[in-house]
Amino acid sequence: MTVKSVSLVIAGSGGAGVVTAGSLLLEAAAQAGWYALMSRSSGPQIRGGEAAAMLRFATEPVMSHDDSFHLLMAIDWENINRFSAEIPLVAESLIVGDPAHGDAPAALLSGKPRQAALPMVALAERIENGRPNMVALGAIAAMIGLPPEAMQAVVERNLKRKGQAAIDASMAAFHAGIAAAVDLPAIPKLPAVAAAANPRWSITGNEATGLGVIRGGVRFVAAYPITPATEVLEWLAPSLAKVGGMLVQAEDELASINQIIGASYGGVPAMTATSGPGLSLMIESLGLAVAAEVPLVVVDVMRVGPSTGIATKSEQSDLNIAVYGLHGDAPHVVVAANSVADCLFTTQWAVHLAEAMQVPTLVLTDQAMGQARAIVPKPAELAFIGQRLTAPAAVEGQRYKRYAVTASGVSPMAIPGTPGLTHTADGLEHNEFGTPSSQASDHQAQMDKRQRKISQFNYGDHWADIEDSEVGAGDTAIITWGSATGPAREALQRYSAAGGKARLLSLRLIAPVQPEKMAEALRGIERAVVVEQSHSGQFYRMLRAFYDLPAKTVSLHQGGPLPFGPQQILDQLNQLNAGSA
Amino acid sequence: MESCAQKKTYKAKDYKSELKPIWCPGCGDYTVLNSITRALAELGLPPEEVAVVSGIGCSSRIPAYTSVYGFHGVHGRALPVATGLKLARPDLTVLVTGGDGDGFSIGGNHFLHACRRNVDLTYIVMDNQVYGMTKGQASPTTAPDWEGSKLTPDGTGINPFQPLVVGLASGANFIARVSASDPINMAKIIVEAIQHPGFSLVQVLSPCVTFRPEQQEWRDIVRTAVVDYTDDAARAARRLMTDDGFNVGKVLYKGSRPPFRPEFEHTDGSVAELEARFAL
Amino acid sequence: MSEGSTQDQPINSLGVLLAHALAMETDAADRYGELADQMEMHRKKGVAGIFRRLQNAEQKHLAELEELTAEMDLPHIAPWDFKWGGESPEAIAVGRVSYHMSVKGAVLLALDHEKQAYEFYRRIANQTSDSEVRRLARQFADEELQHVAWLEEWRDKCGPDDEKPLDDPDPPLSQE
Repeated sequence: MTVKSVSLVIAGSGGAGVVTAGSLLLEAAAQAGWYALMSRSSGPQIRGGEAAAMLRFATEPVMSHDDSFHLLMAIDWENINRFSAEIPLVAESLIVGDPAHGDAPAALLSGKPRQAALPMVALAERIENGRPNMVALGAIAAMIGLPPEAMQAVVERNLKRKGQAAIDASMAAFHAGIAAAVDLPAIPKLPAVAAAANPRWSITGNEATGLGVIRGGVRFVAAYPITPATEVLEWLAPSLAKVGGMLVQAEDELASINQIIGASYGGVPAMTATSGPGLSLMIESLGLAVAAEVPLVVVDVMRVGPSTGIATKSEQSDLNIAVYGLHGDAPHVVVAANSVADCLFTTQWAVHLAEAMQVPTLVLTDQAMGQARAIVPKPAELAFIGQRLTAPAAVEGQRYKRYAVTASGVSPMAIPGTPGLTHTADGLEHNEFGTPSSQASDHQAQMDKRQRKISQFNYGDHWADIEDSEVGAGDTAIITWGSATGPAREALQRYSAAGGKARLLSLRLIAPVQPEKMAEALRGIERAVVVEQSHSGQFYRMLRAFYDLPAKTVSLHQGGPLPFGPQQILDQLNQLNAGSA
Repeated sequence: MESCAQKKTYKAKDYKSELKPIWCPGCGDYTVLNSITRALAELGLPPEEVAVVSGIGCSSRIPAYTSVYGFHGVHGRALPVATGLKLARPDLTVLVTGGDGDGFSIGGNHFLHACRRNVDLTYIVMDNQVYGMTKGQASPTTAPDWEGSKLTPDGTGINPFQPLVVGLASGANFIARVSASDPINMAKIIVEAIQHPGFSLVQVLSPCVTFRPEQQEWRDIVRTAVVDYTDDAARAARRLMTDDGFNVGKVLYKGSRPPFRPEFEHTDGSVAELEARFAL
Repeated sequence: MSEGSTQDQPINSLGVLLAHALAMETDAADRYGELADQMEMHRKKGVAGIFRRLQNAEQKHLAELEELTAEMDLPHIAPWDFKWGGESPEAIAVGRVSYHMSVKGAVLLALDHEKQAYEFYRRIANQTSDSEVRRLARQFADEELQHVAWLEEWRDKCGPDDEKPLDDPDPPLSQE
């Protein structure tokens, strides 16, 4: 492993405050100059259920969770079995539990981790208003090398409103934890880093998604709450208001998509965010946006499907509906973010694509990146701003053609309010004026133009992230997309560190497909592994349908909710090459 | 009331497009188109500042027959399209046209919430109690014993939807019923509906001469409502309780709820402030 | 059906009379045109022909009126404030036509409305206190009477084929 990192879980049931503890720890790590990734897992309860905060810290940007955790800090054991599959523990791992809550359940012990005790309840009781989770944080800080000053600053910031006594109680519990950690076995420690050296952001994928669309120019959002997309909306509502936009909570997803169609037809760039069930409801109207050529962005924060599935967990299984869900021949754009930070880039790019081509653009993210918080290098400024080709004024003696057949396929769009260019945008097939037509020639001309505008568009280098191991690409590739990219990146780093050569291809542009660019990217590649979190291998099948893949291409696919570990992908790489050697 | 106060620069014809309607001769929808164009002319609205939004159905063809901005969307979704358009572009006058199936069946949920939300829209529903575009099936407003469709040869057996009752209960801010047989009165009421802030519902009894030829008798059955509008929802509700559906020609209810209108001030330039909150 | 508050009122000013005449001729020309379009759209050439000829006649009428009033500043009257109540008398109600209507049926319907137009001007002429209004109203009434005469002539020329309602053996189509 090239990334020196430490991975830990804080788990506990209602009232234990593990999510709060995780957030404080992340903030403190940020304060200390580290990078981090935090995911959460929780039970089905609205409140008070068991929860786990999974964190990984490093001195370099963190792409993925590790294969296992160095530390499980269990504030109690309530129902912790539900997380056992999500918390891989090995012999080097350490479980720290509170003797007040008894022994660790057997389900956590299959990897034979080390065990130690920390009397969190007892230590907290000695401090007025002391809490066990702060004792836990103190112990964790000492064990991973987090300077206490970092936590001091964070606690002061977070508890300011509760007063100095609350701050003092928390820090007293924290220091009790530090003191008690002396007796605990060691786990890897990270070195301190000069925070100022690396400008960093703390952001979730869902926040980055919201910021991306605002940067791209979106000023109207209509949406219906759905897990795990709701945080996109919660971030956007107040943020849009600050930049002169608005968010409307619609009565359902059918209304969301149609409201944004209306707003965009009115000239205001618009988007909605949803998850699989909501996307299913929006599909008919996405076809309308294709036919009527209304630019818009729909973000699908994917969760486990089908149907209600597992609403709080991640899967990459909406690829098919995003690409093929629309009835008729309906050319549209599908892009996918491949990391927490990339949610910003990809959604901003999506607005640019949607506006430039007057086409609905779907963005696929997922629960894993959407609800994860990461400390990432400060994202670059991007030049993409949605720019729509508008028809500025009427031409004397010429009737306006809303759907003029042009070389680019993009027709200048008249925004309501423009004199002399009135027309009716229509979901019925139409001629160049927008008049409904059942003529074969009109259908052909309009289909050609709608296809042409997205086929001919210059997507530049953004269609995929292409990364080679330090010593070159070799003849082996990992082809992946979305949040499977994180562990794939780390697998590539490890493979490279062990002297291997490989190329990572993470597709950001899912549709339209880019066979020429792919052929170029795969030149010299003889073996490939396709990695995706889908039970049926949707991505692999799509690649097979549209691209010339190396003769030896294997599919590594699994349904959610468990994420890939880097080692899983590395094993596949090694196996691929062992088989060919 | 003859006034020269406002210089009228538009004629009803100025709001019609070159496209010829495909409706059957005698269809009430022709009348509604005429009444809308008359109303727009009377209001003197420049065509480019008006938008007509519709879904699917005979009456949903109206946008293309006008010379204003039009949007002909999918079945049942006209109200949300219009909602988005009006919220994004409050400077436009936005009308929504459609039929009883589009509005009350497939689009029923949007109807409830459009009334609730009270965006400043005028919704003109041409109610002919039948699906014309698909050859005459029962609609939500069809009587339960109508046996004219192969789909429901013994009638639907279910009570008809009551658009005005539901509209009132859901919060529509202006409610009227008019008859296609009195286009001038309809134009007058459409003017009022457009001028009234918030969500205005105008139900038009618009006969389908092809699938419900008996509806041509409506012109003789309808009667002008005897009382003028009320601003008291409870009173309006009581009137609807004894209404047989043929009291037309007057506004039933005018509410005073302020229209829905979230903040939408163009104050660009603070994206950097949003970003600053993420910086460490 | 209409509130009918205006339909018995007299007209005592030339401007108001001309505004009424303009509106009536505009409506008549537009409506005949609209009905002709409808019938053409449905390939009912015979009936369409009747309406088209009437549209042309009304357009001529309208053009003369427009020339007469070009320099005048006529009052604006809202559609519901004209002295006829409801639609203008010369405009055939859209709901009165039908896909099945015969040529003779169209002629009779037009005749009915031309007579109503005549009756309107006659009433105005009889009721008014203004001599110029009376003179012009009588002139307009006479012109309408000409249309009535043409239509009566057409009616009398109608043969048995013109009386048959138009039949269509095919059922209506499904469109959307």
